[in-house]
Amino acid sequence: MTDFAAMLGALVRHDVAFIVVDGAAAIAHGSVRLTSDLDIVYQRTSPNLDSLVAALVDHQPYLRGAPPGLPFKWDKTTLLRGINFTLISSLGDIDLLGEIPGGGTYEELLPGAMELSVFGMRCRCLSLAQLIRAKRAAGRPRDLEVLAELESIQEEEKS
Amino acid sequence: MASKERDIDPVIEVYKKDLDLTLIRENLKLSVEERFLKAQELARFAEEMRRAGRQACHPES
Repeated sequence: MTDFAAMLGALVRHDVAFIVVDGAAAIAHGSVRLTSDLDIVYQRTSPNLDSLVAALVDHQPYLRGAPPGLPFKWDKTTLLRGINFTLISSLGDIDLLGEIPGGGTYEELLPGAMELSVFGMRCRCLSLAQLIRAKRAAGRPRDLEVLAELESIQEEEKS
Repeated sequence: MASKERDIDPVIEVYKKDLDLTLIRENLKLSVEERFLKAQELARFAEEMRRAGRQACHPES
């Protein structure tokens, strides 16, 4: 099970530039749906990749679902070779996304993102409108129920 | 763009009918931190129920 507070804490302590997206962002907006991982869009600048590596290095990150024993090395070179990484760690599951459909990269999402004050720290999270846009763009059947809930939350907040 | 966001999708409207709005309204009363803690508690409960279910179905394992 993912320890959201510890995971966010590791990222914030190392000054990682990231935005919380997907299920955890939905929880922040009031979703009652369960999520088992933390999904973030991270900035792909060289200093931020260093920060991201430092944030997770003590928590044994490894490719989720991959057989044990693969020569996976958690370092900047690995991050430069890919964009999206689905990882398991001692703090739980985390998905690192370079960009998301309907939203784009960290830089593209940042102006519309909101600041969360949670567990005694501050981090950025997709706004409800961004989250809805991203879910619509993803267009997966499993997102239909999520979209219905997010739109209902938006209507509740407007009412 | 903004008007497109408000476009009504008939499929999503069908899904909305099955939502329990009372649960959503209760969640909206909580702080963001309380929402995360509640989600973690639910995840812990779900994990325990899965474990108990496995044990009940396969008591010898």
